[in-house]
Amino acid sequence: MTNLTETNMIDRDEIAGSNVRRMMWVIVSGLGIVMTAGAVAGYLAAHEAQGGGALGTAGILTLCGFAAIIIGLAYAIWRNVSKMKASNEGLTRREKLNRKIVWGCGLAGGAIGLFLAFYETSVGNSDTGPALIFADSPMPPVIALILAFFWAVIMPIIAWFWHKRAIDEQEASAYRDGGYYAAYAFLIGAPMWWILWRGGFAPEPDGVAIFMLFASIWTAVWLWKKYR
Amino acid sequence: MKNQLKVLRAMRSWSQADLGEHLDVSRQAVNAIETGKYDPSLPLAFKISRLFALPIEEIFDDEFNGD
Repeated sequence: MTNLTETNMIDRDEIAGSNVRRMMWVIVSGLGIVMTAGAVAGYLAAHEAQGGGALGTAGILTLCGFAAIIIGLAYAIWRNVSKMKASNEGLTRREKLNRKIVWGCGLAGGAIGLFLAFYETSVGNSDTGPALIFADSPMPPVIALILAFFWAVIMPIIAWFWHKRAIDEQEASAYRDGGYYAAYAFLIGAPMWWILWRGGFAPEPDGVAIFMLFASIWTAVWLWKKYR
Repeated sequence: MKNQLKVLRAMRSWSQADLGEHLDVSRQAVNAIETGKYDPSLPLAFKISRLFALPIEEIFDDEFNGD
């Protein structure tokens, strides 16, 4: 009796567990869409820089290829989200709230990233290619203030709510571990890069690259520790 | 840390999510504790102990043999 019940339970748990893989696919697909959109923006900017005009057959085929990639990735997101919704009964109240906050932040971040990428190509004068989102060209003060307000005021409020209401102690521990790894990577990596630059062995340290590495290491360790 | 959590919840026909709801933690947290990948805090261990009406040492085994 116990064995049968336990087997049924494990099956249900495994269904919920496979949502982790689906969520990873959604994240990867979302990043893929952002990167492909950036590639489209970059391609069109390069076309404009070369004189513009109507696109040739190769250009149209290239854009069709990009569009097919975006449609495919969007379909992958839709499929995985549908499956995750179907198995949502495996989530606790905290997990549902947690997921809503993470999704909301992801969508807001994606929207801001896309806006900046298209702003850089259509209004700005950046020539940084695929790294448009992290360009350092000037932007209108109003946009800069809105983004700074979002980053410095809204995000801490969301983070506070997330820590207090949405995550549990296991995820808090995973998040702290991510912070340790990222902090040590920063404490070791940033001075090393700076010293190597002074010695003529490396290009000048790039603050945005250091920030992105710091955030990437933190996120990767956090997710690894949470879902391993 | 080894523990009896999986057996105890099986006896009540609970899924990991059901137990997570009782403890106000995520399914991942229950899974991590059951598989020994995460050791619960003392408050959570007491919560588990009260939920199953068992002493903590009957649920968790730190493999201390007195040496």
